Amino acid sequence: MKHMFSFIVCFCLLVPPVVVAETNIMESATPLPGMRGTPLNLPDISVVGVLDGHVSDDKTDSAKDRLELSDVETAFQGYIYPEMRADVFLAIHRHDGEYEAEICEAKASFLHLADGLGGEAGKIHVNFGKLNRIHEHHRPMIDQPLVLTNFFGDHGLVGQGGTLNYLMPLPFFLQFEGGAWRVAGHHPHVSEDVETTQVTDVNGNVVDVAIYEEEPCTEFSLADEVYTGRAKTSFAPTAKSELEIGGSIAQGRGGHYEEHLDKAQVVGADMTFRFWPTAYRRWTFQNEWMHLRREVPVGILHRQGGYSFLQCRLNKYWDVGARFDYADNAFPDKVIERSGSAIVGYHLTETSDLRIQAKRRRVGDDDISEGWVRMTFGIGPHSHELE
Amino acid sequence: MNWNKEGDLMRILALVSLVLTGLLPVCRAESRTLRVVTTSEDLASIVRAVGGDAVSVASLSSGEQDLHLVEPRPSMVMKLKNADVLVKVGMDIDMWVDALISSARNERIFYGAPGYVDASVGVGLLQTPEGKIDGSMGDIHLYGNPHYWLDPVHGKVMARHIAGVLSTLSPERAALFDDRRKRFDAEIDRKLEEWRERLAPLKGTPLVTYHNSWVYFAARFGFEIVGNIEPKPGIPPTPAHLARLVDVMVARGARVILVDPFFPLQGPRAVSERTGARILVVPSSVGGRPGIKTYFDLFDHIVGQLAGA
Repeated sequence: MKHMFSFIVCFCLLVPPVVVAETNIMESATPLPGMRGTPLNLPDISVVGVLDGHVSDDKTDSAKDRLELSDVETAFQGYIYPEMRADVFLAIHRHDGEYEAEICEAKASFLHLADGLGGEAGKIHVNFGKLNRIHEHHRPMIDQPLVLTNFFGDHGLVGQGGTLNYLMPLPFFLQFEGGAWRVAGHHPHVSEDVETTQVTDVNGNVVDVAIYEEEPCTEFSLADEVYTGRAKTSFAPTAKSELEIGGSIAQGRGGHYEEHLDKAQVVGADMTFRFWPTAYRRWTFQNEWMHLRREVPVGILHRQGGYSFLQCRLNKYWDVGARFDYADNAFPDKVIERSGSAIVGYHLTETSDLRIQAKRRRVGDDDISEGWVRMTFGIGPHSHELE
Repeated sequence: MNWNKEGDLMRILALVSLVLTGLLPVCRAESRTLRVVTTSEDLASIVRAVGGDAVSVASLSSGEQDLHLVEPRPSMVMKLKNADVLVKVGMDIDMWVDALISSARNERIFYGAPGYVDASVGVGLLQTPEGKIDGSMGDIHLYGNPHYWLDPVHGKVMARHIAGVLSTLSPERAALFDDRRKRFDAEIDRKLEEWRERLAPLKGTPLVTYHNSWVYFAARFGFEIVGNIEPKPGIPPTPAHLARLVDVMVARGARVILVDPFFPLQGPRAVSERTGARILVVPSSVGGRPGIKTYFDLFDHIVGQLAGA
């Protein structure tokens, strides 16, 4: 009995109940995000999980008719020096039926190098256009617009390197940014059905060796040394609206340079108009257009694509939207893809929401219908910088 | 121009930056007034009262907005970029400004700099949670209920804090700021008596509010908040919760539901129809209704609405 009493006392001391204190004096400024760890100097730690369901009438789609945890992203965020912070996002995501761990982003941000000048270094979602920089779970749509997939790959343009950005000392918002990156190329495209044959080795022994048959590549992206630039300006036509206009450029080699000996340049333009008629209602009209110039030994390919996205946040919790996509592929045999999507979202908290998207896609002469449902849940003070 | 040469792009970007940087001295002509940016209109009103003509003030939000959910915009970055002082409510209600500060890259208003003012410092807080808190408790604030500006006595604490910072940044006008702050305090004291007198007959009256935003006001003027339309902070009302709330209101005799103008009225109407309680749509910030231009106007309006209910 005595032990039981001691246990209860210890338990109560270790797990204090949540109580609401009468009055406290706020003695210091509210800590910023990145300063929320305990006095043990821990960073802000958070987790975001993404549960995805996907249906499709595309018989070749290996990810269809599934409901699965598609992504778990952990974040460690904090200040490492005055005016310098670090953000590390580690992700485990499902890719081709397997879970893979990767560093989604890991960067040091220099908030003030000189008046108006900032910078970042590390592995970073490159600031190109409006959506490339934004993590998937933060986007107002479930799938990635076709043009981003066709020109930058499934995960967008992510590089290791650094960027400098300069906010011009002008009466209106005008920011320039330039970055230099090393972007990982694609894995070799080899068939998983391995055949073997017998050969004689240098010692005269007969051994079995695997024959790998290379598959034609279906994905294009920039790789190796990539240089990027972005200019962005913004105006507030009225107190309740904002117009943002940006231009971006990226150039480097193709993701399969050894195979194609290609160099590529992507130029993009974006325009976003937001309007807040009431406290919670918001209209967003966002457009991005990109042009790919791909130089291969036999000539120069010109490809283009873009999307137009209209969204209305109806109130504090609900939003509805529609997106139209148009994109060429990045290969010599030109294929045009078009799609239209309808999207509905319900926000539980800043980091937790439910989203449904229906999409009708035309690839060449084929029509494909797809649908997604996604639940994103966040625990802890997960935050991303502004775009 | 051969765009395929990678170095060309970098050289052009460097040149453009260099040319535009040359504009720096032209565009940063020193202003004689301190440029103050606030996150709310309430703070802007207090800064105007304390700073007078020695400051220019801009608020990043309007009084019609829910301060929790203001969306950061690039035009706000420019206001912060040129600011000498940022005054924020703090306690996480205006967390959206933190990312803007980083984007503005203005070291005068970085956390810890003289121009960074968290107006909650020194304020006596209510409902400060202790122990572990998480999402099961709704959108609860780590450092306590952040709606402290709705106690006019806290206006004096905020004014003292703001006057101190303005005096530090502009010592030659310290006497002016101190004088204006004292006049602000005296006006608060005078008006407080008037508001208390008008609300005295209502002391002890049970109230229901949409969000848990009126605790400071209720504590100052002797109202008793017996429930909220939201089951937990930031969580939308459910039929079951509203049914329980109706029972509580009937049992406690609550006859008034206070609703900030930006909240939906479906929940309050459903409760009102079953209890006969009156819905009062009352602004909780300066600018929340036409004609409410100062911190004093705000309380005049709230007190007038309640006294007439």
